[in-house]
Amino acid sequence: MLLCLGLNHRTTPIELRERLAFAESKQPEAAQQIKSLPGFEESTVISTCNRVEIFTSCDHNSPEQGLAVLHDYLVNHFQLNPAQREALTTYKLSHADAARHLFRVVSGLDSMVLGETEIFGQVKAAYNVALKAGATGRTLNKLFQRAFSVGKQVRNGTNIQRGSTSVGSVAVDLAEKIFDLRQCRVLLIGAGEMSRTCAQSLLSRGAKSIFISNRSYDRAVELAKEMGGQALRFDEWEGALHDADIIISSTSAPHFVVKPELIEPVMRKRHGHSLLIIDIAVPRDVDPRVNEIPEVYLYDVDALQAIADEGRRERERALALCEEIIEEQLRKFGYQEDSASGATLQREEDDNPVLPLTPRNS
Amino acid sequence: MELTRLLLILSTVAFMAGVVHAITALRAGRWQENKWQFLPMAVGFLFQCAFLYLRGEMHARCPLTSQFEVFIFIGWCIVLLYFLVGATYRLSLLGLFTAPLIAILQTLALFMPDNPGSVKHVKMSVWEHLHAPLAMIAYAAFALACITGVMFLLQDHLLKKHHIHALFRQLPPIHHLSRAIMRMVALGVLLLAVAMISTFKIHLPISTVKMTISWSILGLYTVILLLMWRHTLSARHTAWLSVLGFMVPFLSLWVVIGR
Repeated sequence: MLLCLGLNHRTTPIELRERLAFAESKQPEAAQQIKSLPGFEESTVISTCNRVEIFTSCDHNSPEQGLAVLHDYLVNHFQLNPAQREALTTYKLSHADAARHLFRVVSGLDSMVLGETEIFGQVKAAYNVALKAGATGRTLNKLFQRAFSVGKQVRNGTNIQRGSTSVGSVAVDLAEKIFDLRQCRVLLIGAGEMSRTCAQSLLSRGAKSIFISNRSYDRAVELAKEMGGQALRFDEWEGALHDADIIISSTSAPHFVVKPELIEPVMRKRHGHSLLIIDIAVPRDVDPRVNEIPEVYLYDVDALQAIADEGRRERERALALCEEIIEEQLRKFGYQEDSASGATLQREEDDNPVLPLTPRNS
Repeated sequence: MELTRLLLILSTVAFMAGVVHAITALRAGRWQENKWQFLPMAVGFLFQCAFLYLRGEMHARCPLTSQFEVFIFIGWCIVLLYFLVGATYRLSLLGLFTAPLIAILQTLALFMPDNPGSVKHVKMSVWEHLHAPLAMIAYAAFALACITGVMFLLQDHLLKKHHIHALFRQLPPIHHLSRAIMRMVALGVLLLAVAMISTFKIHLPISTVKMTISWSILGLYTVILLLMWRHTLSARHTAWLSVLGFMVPFLSLWVVIGR
């Protein structure tokens, strides 16, 4: 019998999630401990910043019995006090519901950012840890292998990964459609939180270097140190325009800071090299007429947000197809058609029984 | 119906099918860059090869004896270069833009009178064999530069207008397209230069008009290439040059082949 006990960003606040996280080095030991509990045959522990989940195979008389043992293990392992026990909310799934949940998790459908891909690698790593620790067997090996194949099918066969869903990733996507990011130099004018996030996204995707200019020079130096860039005094940024490929502007100036008269001579000297300007400031820093200059691409915060919103909508539109693929794969995996109840969320004190769904081949 | 004509129709249908499939997939947001996107192009190319083989057998030389055959030969060269460029520069969406051009060229050819030129079976030197095919491949390179230019202008427009949708995501980055245009123009100039230099070794008479036009096209594209290399013009102007520049060799085909 397949069981899953878990908690995630939707069920449990971060204060409790971090208390219940299994350290990477402790995961093999935990998987073995669960496997050695009475009636349990296999186990895998998935622990990320957004979720803690235990997948097991057991021979208990009922799913409720096995899930209660897992719940007690979690409470005892982390020595939760009564208040924490009270606050603990978990989902308790069995049979097809547990398998469906794993398929959804691996496909990024249960993630905070719909369709994100990192979870695939995290689940794979968790499974490999359990496999190496000898905590998995026939049931979980088959289940996880199938889950990885479903995850790939969902990603490749639908638009669930399409588009960018955050302002930072939109900025990166745009930059990648204009430049070779490895050759890109970023100029940050003003050091607001969102512009910093954009710059970090660009650097993490390989941007070559960054210049930071801020009214407070100390703040620029501090940020430059943090990002591995170079600080400029606020009256120096115009001189750096010629070298920059991407400008991210977020000053608190009440008027336009970047005007066509400033950009036009710079573009003449750039010999056809494009310039991407991301204006995150409100009120705007960049005169919209700048977008009329050839090879200059200007995006303000509304434009970026609209693209991110469209990305999210596109992913949501793909959701139904993803669920269809998962249901089809569940049937192929041997689970009967069910009520499509999805995950059954239960509080600790909830007495509702877990929906038992019988595997066709068991 | 003649077998060669049937092959040509089948080839045209394959290219059109490729376009329809690609547009449908793009509109539905299902387009994915994979080897299957090459299939309609490959099928169309095979029929083109069969057509040219049969024609070559018939003439016992490269089948470039009439306007009808020249159009098919240029189409074949374009697809050949597409396979080389598409794979090298990951521009498989280039197929979506290439296939309609081939379909148009071949449809035009289908409406042309198919009367092969009177081929005199005289012994030809290597240069005489090479001259026309090299010039045609050079024209195909200019055609691909033109198509890549269209892709650049489209991507530039989408970026400027903030139209970030399926086509935007599938089009290659503009710096990539810009480089591809320059390489295609450089390849065309090189091949056309060799083809034109070979005329000094050719003993068969070539009309003055044909020579003048061909040298002019070589001159025009050499200037375009120099402008690209020296970054005298913006990337957008360069793309426009590659698009508009192709009108000259394309229109000259009627003059050159007619003589």
